[in-house]
Amino acid sequence: MQADIKWLDDPQVFRVGQLPAHSDHYWYRDADEARAKSSSFAQSLDGQWQFKFADRPQHRPVGFYEPNYDTSDFGTIHVPGHIELSNYAQIQYINTLYPWEGKIYRRPAYTMGPDQTGEGMFSEAPDNSVGAYIRHFRLAPGLTNQRVIVQFDGVEEAMYVWLNGHFLGYAEDSFSRSEFDLTDALVEGDNVLAVEVFKRSTASFLEDQDMFRFSGIFRSVRLVGLPTVHVADMHIRPVVNEDLDSGELNVTLKLTGDLESKGRVHLTVFDKADKLIVDEKRSVAKQISFGHLPFENVMLWTHHNPDLYHLTVTITDEDSNPIEVVPYDIGFRRLELRNQVIYLNGKRLIINGVNRHEWDATTGRTVSMADMKADLQTFAENHINAVRTCHYPDQIPWYYMCDQAGVYMMAETNLETHGTWQKMGAVEPSDNVPGSLPQWREAVLDRARSNYETFKNHPAILFWSLGNESYAGDDIEAMNTYYKTMDSSRLTHYEGVVRNRKYETSISDVESRMYASPAEIRTYLSNQPMKPFLDCEYMHDMGNSLGGLGEYMALLDDFPSYQGGFIWDFIDQALWVTDEVTGRQVLRYGGDFDDRHTDGEFSGDGLMFANRQAKPAMQEVRYYYGQYDN
Amino acid sequence: MANTTTKLHVIFGDGTLGVATDDVHYLFSYEKGGLESIVSHGKEWLYRPIRPIFWRATTDNDRGNHFSEESAMWLGADCFTRCQNIDVQVDGEDLGLPIAPQNNQFSNDETADQVDITFDFQTATTPATKVTMHYQIVANGKVTLTSHLQGKEALPELPAFGVQLIMPTVATGFEYDGLSGETYPDRMAGGSRGQYYVAGLPVTPYLVPQEMGMHMQTRWLTVTRQRTLNNADVDAQPFSFSVEMADQPFAFSCLPYTAMELEAATHVEELPLARRTVLSVYGAVRGVGGIDSWGADVQPPYRLFADVDRTFTVQIHPGNHVAD
Repeated sequence: MQADIKWLDDPQVFRVGQLPAHSDHYWYRDADEARAKSSSFAQSLDGQWQFKFADRPQHRPVGFYEPNYDTSDFGTIHVPGHIELSNYAQIQYINTLYPWEGKIYRRPAYTMGPDQTGEGMFSEAPDNSVGAYIRHFRLAPGLTNQRVIVQFDGVEEAMYVWLNGHFLGYAEDSFSRSEFDLTDALVEGDNVLAVEVFKRSTASFLEDQDMFRFSGIFRSVRLVGLPTVHVADMHIRPVVNEDLDSGELNVTLKLTGDLESKGRVHLTVFDKADKLIVDEKRSVAKQISFGHLPFENVMLWTHHNPDLYHLTVTITDEDSNPIEVVPYDIGFRRLELRNQVIYLNGKRLIINGVNRHEWDATTGRTVSMADMKADLQTFAENHINAVRTCHYPDQIPWYYMCDQAGVYMMAETNLETHGTWQKMGAVEPSDNVPGSLPQWREAVLDRARSNYETFKNHPAILFWSLGNESYAGDDIEAMNTYYKTMDSSRLTHYEGVVRNRKYETSISDVESRMYASPAEIRTYLSNQPMKPFLDCEYMHDMGNSLGGLGEYMALLDDFPSYQGGFIWDFIDQALWVTDEVTGRQVLRYGGDFDDRHTDGEFSGDGLMFANRQAKPAMQEVRYYYGQYDN
Repeated sequence: MANTTTKLHVIFGDGTLGVATDDVHYLFSYEKGGLESIVSHGKEWLYRPIRPIFWRATTDNDRGNHFSEESAMWLGADCFTRCQNIDVQVDGEDLGLPIAPQNNQFSNDETADQVDITFDFQTATTPATKVTMHYQIVANGKVTLTSHLQGKEALPELPAFGVQLIMPTVATGFEYDGLSGETYPDRMAGGSRGQYYVAGLPVTPYLVPQEMGMHMQTRWLTVTRQRTLNNADVDAQPFSFSVEMADQPFAFSCLPYTAMELEAATHVEELPLARRTVLSVYGAVRGVGGIDSWGADVQPPYRLFADVDRTFTVQIHPGNHVAD
């Protein structure tokens, strides 16, 4: 297989050579490793990489992935990180309009007719900068003599991957993990991993989120070894019965490796008091199902009592020695939609939520564990019980942390195309993607699949969100169908269908709006609402704002179908810069990098300033969310 | 000569009216149209005369809903309002504007139990309207300041209505009895009532400087400074000034900047070096809104329509707050 730069232009090519998406579990060699959460099957590739920047595809170092390529003119870059924040490329912030506004004329492929293929739109574009990354590595002892996978947790916006000159594949979807099997290209000793990252591709149309526009390998990269028998995917489905007291657990495992092994697969579940609830053994097989395992006196997972059970899958060889240990903490909760009201564990669900972009004022969307812990602490202090991962999947640890903290999640697919239908505030969808175009359907379905398959086992997730501000058509309808087919235990969410009510019955379990006034919400809820109502975005906290929150909270008293909402948003997006005049560290926003067109300070809408200091308005959130903290 | 009586000492100057007790000396300027000096124990409290204010710096929401464009004439009024008439009453006797030759009749030993001085302003709006600031000084030296705005239907909504005291140096801090944190008419449910001390003059670091630091429902406020601009003053002991509610609680902000300075900056680092204390005392302020930042207005109860008369009263005096 040969890499083809024209894939950048073709919405129908978005993953080549990638492993299928699967659950986000960690695996360990034995119980001790699992307890320490330190796997000898994993080898981090984070750190300094060799790097060469090209301002456009035509200037890129063609063939740099060959092991004997002369890289003497390469510099370095830190992985994970954004190319722009390493000052190789200009920083730009823009909201709705595409970042090339007024500089390059583009219409998404096939929106102007079946012959409009878009060929050359990105592969020959002067604004499509390229990062050539090289990382040498030697396999750690724990990874030798087994299959080895490379995991990229996040790369914007399109990448080609080679190992030792062998092409491995291509990936888009910047915010989902991409994996490639390296095994057949590995050599003893020094290996050369090469990644070519393009700032733009057809994915750019799908990733028009209101944020600083970055590129590069901005989340961690690691190698993982697969033991001789390996759990490739686990599907864990805890069920709580109507009595809210009993339940059952269903677990389906997909195994890879030596499926003829005489080993055993051992499933245990302990409750939080270390009482053994499940103790099941099976033979190794390609697929193993543990069905209808009964639970009594179920400890329900809720915001205030996020009780988790400790599930472990242990694979042993025929001499009962461990081959692989896979722990996963699971939660039992019952989510229901009855008579236009959402109930969680029998109680009406009230969302005291925030939208949260991943943000750090120094490192951009490369956020640290410390950032995530601080954010959850802030949630706890201010009665914030829910988070929408606007508008893309977050780093994987965040989902585990929300499980543990009892934070309800709206897990959003990486999709936002408002530049294709929202023109200076008006709805004008003539070049909308994905719309109902078949050429864009598989790309957005793949994004939904990656989101679902990766995060399906997290009790914190109550809603699958199809994306943000992308209008509505057959393709988003297909995403809704996909989620509903895969998962009957959660609800789907999508706001954009209110812009095209033709799809009202087939997209989104909830009536979701952004920035509706309290009066508009009253009108909807007073007229035989078809669906429960939630604000996917409200209380736009730009600068000194957040007045009138009480009028929204009063809706909770007046309408059972009003389920609350997610404040826009959690943290200002601004960047620390050394002031060119005073030398002080100062926070800068769009336009401060000579970036045009830009939406300036519009990204400063947080309850927190970009340095994670709370804005004064936070006390109002704490008060009202505290009043409705159930 | 020291004032040894319990009465006010009144000095009928040619350009000012002086009013003094043992502890405090007020100077009302006829030329500048306001109270220009409050000296207590050698410490000056005013850098510029107390003036009426109508503007508070544009918030992002104001920008989005075009409030500032529609109400822009209040910015002009805030900057350039003219004093048109001054009236002095001593112990109830109306003296008009007692300049020469009328003041030739007085001596250096004039005393009174009560002095009232009223400044009438005409706003730089179209149509213009009238604002009066009435100072009543009683024998204990306390000043009751009442500010009145005459409603005018043709005028746009106001951002704020208040009075401003600019002090010569930055305060070391302030203490108040009111609500915690930064509060606005539509964002004060979360404020807890109590007495709070705020060190320094903190600037809330909004990405683009804008209205900030408002404190609603305040019963009293004491600002403390340590330095003066007086070259002969080497004393570094802290000294204070207080504002007390009269019939209704008031709102205030205490910042190192005027609304104009905040309005002009696109980043926090563009704000000038902090040199003064800008104490703005409000009878009414507009809410901040929150529905969105691109058009939704502040909800009607928290907007200041211009067609109604507005009056508020506070008491001011050097020194600490005195418990009732």
